[in-house]
Amino acid sequence: MIAGGSAVPRGWMRGSSTPLRGALLGLLLERPGHGGELAHRLRVRLGETWRIDGGDVYRLLEALESEGLVTYSEEPVRGRKRGTRTVYRPTERTAEAVSDWMQTLLPREPVRRGIEAKLAVARRADVRSLTVALRRHQQECLALSQMLPPASGRPHTWQELLADCKRDGVQRLLQAEIDWADCTIQRIEEHAASAH
Amino acid sequence: MRRARTDSRRPPRSPASEHPLLDDDSQDPFGADAASPPLLAFHRVVSCCQDATRQVTILDRISFQLAQGESAGLYGAPKSGKSTLLKLAAAIELAYAGTVRFEGVDVARIGVAQRARLLRDRIGLIVDDAWRPSAGETVLDHVAVALGSKGVAMRHARRLAIAQLDEVQVARLAAESACGLSLTDRARVMLATALVRQPSLLLIDEPAPLPSVTERERLIALIRQIAARRGIALLLAAEDLASLQGLHCLMSLSQGRLLTTKVQGATVVEMRSRRASAAERP
Repeated sequence: MIAGGSAVPRGWMRGSSTPLRGALLGLLLERPGHGGELAHRLRVRLGETWRIDGGDVYRLLEALESEGLVTYSEEPVRGRKRGTRTVYRPTERTAEAVSDWMQTLLPREPVRRGIEAKLAVARRADVRSLTVALRRHQQECLALSQMLPPASGRPHTWQELLADCKRDGVQRLLQAEIDWADCTIQRIEEHAASAH
Repeated sequence: MRRARTDSRRPPRSPASEHPLLDDDSQDPFGADAASPPLLAFHRVVSCCQDATRQVTILDRISFQLAQGESAGLYGAPKSGKSTLLKLAAAIELAYAGTVRFEGVDVARIGVAQRARLLRDRIGLIVDDAWRPSAGETVLDHVAVALGSKGVAMRHARRLAIAQLDEVQVARLAAESACGLSLTDRARVMLATALVRQPSLLLIDEPAPLPSVTERERLIALIRQIAARRGIALLLAAEDLASLQGLHCLMSLSQGRLLTTKVQGATVVEMRSRRASAAERP
């Protein structure tokens, strides 16, 4: 289910690095920065499990620049070193692109990445999009769980045992996702309720 | 059918303005003259309870259908309302709002006696903490007695009980005392007790509360096989997803809302494979 069409180009929301791109744009809206600093902020905001690589961040910034969602300028460096460095900023279309991304539920996204990225940079106004995305995430995990073949009951061969172990791992992961989404929706709703 | 107006179990229906969740029920698609109603149908079911100072909603406008012979899993964290949902399905409790229909009949509109008969003859409900064997009772007698209330003679009941114990693979326990069974054996005897009455719907709260993973999987596989072979509809509620594999559809309860993998009679899995095979066709 992808939200209805808008004037903002959707081309940038493609591929498995979309969550990372969305998070980058969200960070830029908070504060411009140079490549290394943005990579660091991403690492802090998204956590170690994302394994952020500085090189990827530069490539993504360049891709976003060609989409017109990021602009850059050379600025003199303050401090010891002389010279300039590239500072990236949002464009006038970035805010709308981020709102759009918040509402868009991309099909077949890797489990959880999209939600984590959105949670990392969501603004107060995105609370509704987040709740919808979390519910959809639960739905997807439920469907994925149902697609798993059932246990045979007693594994006879080494291969069957391995298949049982792997399937067990995936089931636990999906269950954890469903529970986490449940808990997160509850936290968000309780916070929103108490704020009034 | 006489309206159960004096049924003390049914809470007084508040005017819509008092409960923000009450909706107009006139959209119920499963009216009495529907062609072939599903075996079990929940339509915008609401269940709540009083908690000290306020009313807590346990089930928030739950809707789903289960067809004859279909199997469904209900996943939910502890205290998410799974047991409540099963009790409503077994017509042990009545909903605050919305309708529960069994074989097209609104269970709130039939009398207490008729609901009890449903539970005895058509619906099997297995809840782990309902295990209460009498002292000195054998496993065989424990299962056979379940048929006694249906008016079956004891000798015939014992024969049916033995066959049923055999189907759940614990015929060897027939002469054993019903007290002091292992967890695994107990679970199978409880299954036999429910199955011997030949229900068309089996509701199980925590199908395999066993410590061993492989024992759990074997028991659940057995339940699935028996249900499939005998065309019994199945609704299993569990706190772990692993117990709910190989079923036609999966539902989950969170904050009183129900999510389901079923889409208009087919599961999401079936829809995707249908689309895939349609795409493959030249």
